[in-house]
Amino acid sequence: MSISRREWLNVSAGAAASAITSPLLAGLSQWFRPAQLRAATVQTVVSACGVCSPACGLKITLEDGVIRFVEGLPGDLSGGGKLCGKGAAAADFLYDPDRLKYPMKRTNPRKGFDEDPGWVRISWTEALDTIAQKIEDARRQYGAESLLFVTLPSPDVLVRLLNALGVVNRIDHIDECFLADRIVQRYMTGGKSWCIDFANAKYILLFGWDILAKAKIVYANDLVNAKANGAKVVLFNPQYSATARFADEHFSIKPGTDLAVALAMIHVLLNENLFHKEFVDKYTNFGQFEREIREHFQRYTPEWAEEISSVPAADIRRIAREFGTNRPAIVPAHKKTLCANYANASQLMQAITILNILAGTIDRPGGRYFARSISVPGVDAIYPPPPYPPRSGRRVDGKDKLPLVLEDGGGMFSTLADGILNRFPGMIQFAFVNGYTALGFPQPQQMERALKTIPFLVTMDVLPTDTVTLADIALPSTMYLEVNDIVTREYNAKFPQAVPRTAVAPPIFEARSAGFVALELGKRLVPEYFKTPNGEFINLSTLLDEKVRRAGLGENFAEFRERGLTSRPAAFVPRETFATPGNTGKCQIYVPQFAERGVDPLPVWRPKREEPSAQYPYYLLTFIPAVHKRNSTQNNKILHEMMPSNDVQIPAALAAKLGIREGDLVRVRSRVGQIELPAHLTETLREDCVMIAHGFGHRSRLLSLAGGKGARDGDLIPSQTIDDVVKSGNFGGAACIMDAVVQIEKVNR
Amino acid sequence: MATYGWLYDAKRCIECRACEAACKQWNRLEPGVQYRKVRVKEMGHWPHVRTQAISMACNHCDNPLCLRACPVKAMYRRQEDGAVIIDESKCVGCRLCERFCPYGAPSFNEKTGKMMKCTMCYDRLELGLEPACATVCPTGALQFKPWAEIANVGVAMIENFNSPQTTRPRIRFVADGWPAPGR
Repeated sequence: MSISRREWLNVSAGAAASAITSPLLAGLSQWFRPAQLRAATVQTVVSACGVCSPACGLKITLEDGVIRFVEGLPGDLSGGGKLCGKGAAAADFLYDPDRLKYPMKRTNPRKGFDEDPGWVRISWTEALDTIAQKIEDARRQYGAESLLFVTLPSPDVLVRLLNALGVVNRIDHIDECFLADRIVQRYMTGGKSWCIDFANAKYILLFGWDILAKAKIVYANDLVNAKANGAKVVLFNPQYSATARFADEHFSIKPGTDLAVALAMIHVLLNENLFHKEFVDKYTNFGQFEREIREHFQRYTPEWAEEISSVPAADIRRIAREFGTNRPAIVPAHKKTLCANYANASQLMQAITILNILAGTIDRPGGRYFARSISVPGVDAIYPPPPYPPRSGRRVDGKDKLPLVLEDGGGMFSTLADGILNRFPGMIQFAFVNGYTALGFPQPQQMERALKTIPFLVTMDVLPTDTVTLADIALPSTMYLEVNDIVTREYNAKFPQAVPRTAVAPPIFEARSAGFVALELGKRLVPEYFKTPNGEFINLSTLLDEKVRRAGLGENFAEFRERGLTSRPAAFVPRETFATPGNTGKCQIYVPQFAERGVDPLPVWRPKREEPSAQYPYYLLTFIPAVHKRNSTQNNKILHEMMPSNDVQIPAALAAKLGIREGDLVRVRSRVGQIELPAHLTETLREDCVMIAHGFGHRSRLLSLAGGKGARDGDLIPSQTIDDVVKSGNFGGAACIMDAVVQIEKVNR
Repeated sequence: MATYGWLYDAKRCIECRACEAACKQWNRLEPGVQYRKVRVKEMGHWPHVRTQAISMACNHCDNPLCLRACPVKAMYRRQEDGAVIIDESKCVGCRLCERFCPYGAPSFNEKTGKMMKCTMCYDRLELGLEPACATVCPTGALQFKPWAEIANVGVAMIENFNSPQTTRPRIRFVADGWPAPGR
């Protein structure tokens, strides 16, 4: 790895401009630039990024089989042929020396971060046999409710395993992400949409939406281009963020009060009839519920919203008018930046969706539109399974108390620890945690306690995270550049596109995919569900070939891989009907099905969970820095150097009042925990807020770069009980990952 | 052969730091050595605050003071592309170049005791490729162009950029603001 540039050049120049002989490369010649052909040892591979879900296309240059450079894939809709820093640093995820290499079994029965797990290497056969036995024992003795799977619902063979086992307790992080949004979209516009047509928008209204600062380039490029096209951008955010720099107007709104402003804007749009009448009349249920709708919003005047939010009523009124008359207008909503932050997130998503409907931009140019994507059949479509057993048993996260969440299918991070420890102590006998670590939960200290009470914990991860060190068996996972897959994206999907995720190298040591583990456990536990119609066990690469064939991407994966990025350009045809429940084919401003489920059919004002008090006088804001993805990238050599740790950002004026100077160690306390971090003074924060980056505070000693650096924001953020969630009217189950207040004090040493 | 420079549009920069990461990846830089850095500068006081991001590396000046300051003549300028290069075999690690550079570009490698800095990715140029930084920049904030094309584009300096008068750096700045939003 220590060849100098000059040596590399000599190699390149010395090699003849030889023809490419590898069959892989032959089909990829379209990605070669002529000069690269001088290097016989250089190959280019098309793949897809695995850092975040837009999965930007990658063009990877390998030199003697080792990644030399990673760049964007020309023609790719997600990344626009470009990358963010995390994408460009891909090689250091693959070659991270701390990666888990073999299945490991713990020999020290005591669990804790100060305990050496006493790893002993075991074979995959022993690991899988043991895990299957533990699952079987728990299921027989305590029922399927005793099994907990903390994993994204993918790959499809893993979902099949869970279905075949009748697993009810499936948890993923989406309550910290898009859960409330997805629920609201299904009822109001007829389906989730992560596509935002910034490029054609003329008026862009952002409630806390700060994707630019997160460097999610799938949106960033288009927002920048929208500005270049003369769009107006208005931002409500207590912080002056990277996005604020792009905004024509920035309002430092009081945290958690965006809902009040949104409700007041709807009030103005309705009272002054400034909505898109043609769209609203033809494509929504406004006509049917006009009286209820108009009456409902009468109470939410701009003056009322000013009291709550600190945004002047005159500005709310003016912005509402501008929003109503500058077309197309849009309020983007997506993920952590707003839909999971506060107890009133579900109502905020409802209000934002109404604004978009009133603007008439649902699935219209300049609006939030539905993905035009290539549909790839799952394993159940290709090899139909025998009927699955009914799912019965208690829900550890309590989501059965939230009918809309239950129906959605996602599980909840924020109530899991309370369920394990307090509501159903002793119920969970076996847990499988795939790719998540306790650090990602609100109040991770409680999550650790909960995990320690589970008699048998299996983890599957790329790196030895904190949670992995608590495992009874730790399985080494492949990372995204070691697997083949079809990647169809639901972001920026103006027309269908698919990228072959191509393994650039075989898995290191004995790393295996979650699909492999699901299949092998399935063979042992529920073999009848893992057979093809021929009676043979499912083969994952044959399954992938079949998916490629049925999706019309080629005869098999190899052919798709050689073809590379596959686009099916088509003109954008706006939707005429919207697949909302009730079969009216219309968007629903008033949601009658909500009323049937005990949820307000129109958004009502609810306060956030925590408000400043004498004891905890400051709002806590958290953020995900541009160079990191949640808690999964801090051990990457390049990204670690760019941001190795976090600090507590304090408004300079507040710091002066408290006698805190740059770099001073500061203790931050909330009602559930405390952390210590160096102070960073800033002019970019509201005077009653402090801000901490998420993703730091890894404690695993096996993470040689990230371990022990910084502190966990989550230690300050209360988890929830399901009763808290129900009581606060949080019908979409938002995790409240920013809903905390804190005290800060200088640590005198 | 054409010589080159950078065109930087501060208003398009989203602080994603892809340029930094790509630079480190291509140049295989060990931790501690950074050729390119994105700096975010806060200006004014809350609530009247502004921020500005600048992606900065060696600007391969027409009058490189680093080159003139080097006591052992370890620096030279390539005729082919205009890149100012440190010959590590001659460098004695005195760090004079670092002191004379108005942009803080040369970076001291603690391991080797020598200076390192941006090479304009001349190895990529020879392969017909752009420098790593401009290759990945998602928003077009950082562009790499033949100098003849951009020498008179935009302006020679912006806020928080040291005066170009003496060294004549090969960087220009897009000065136009965003178009006024339509009403």
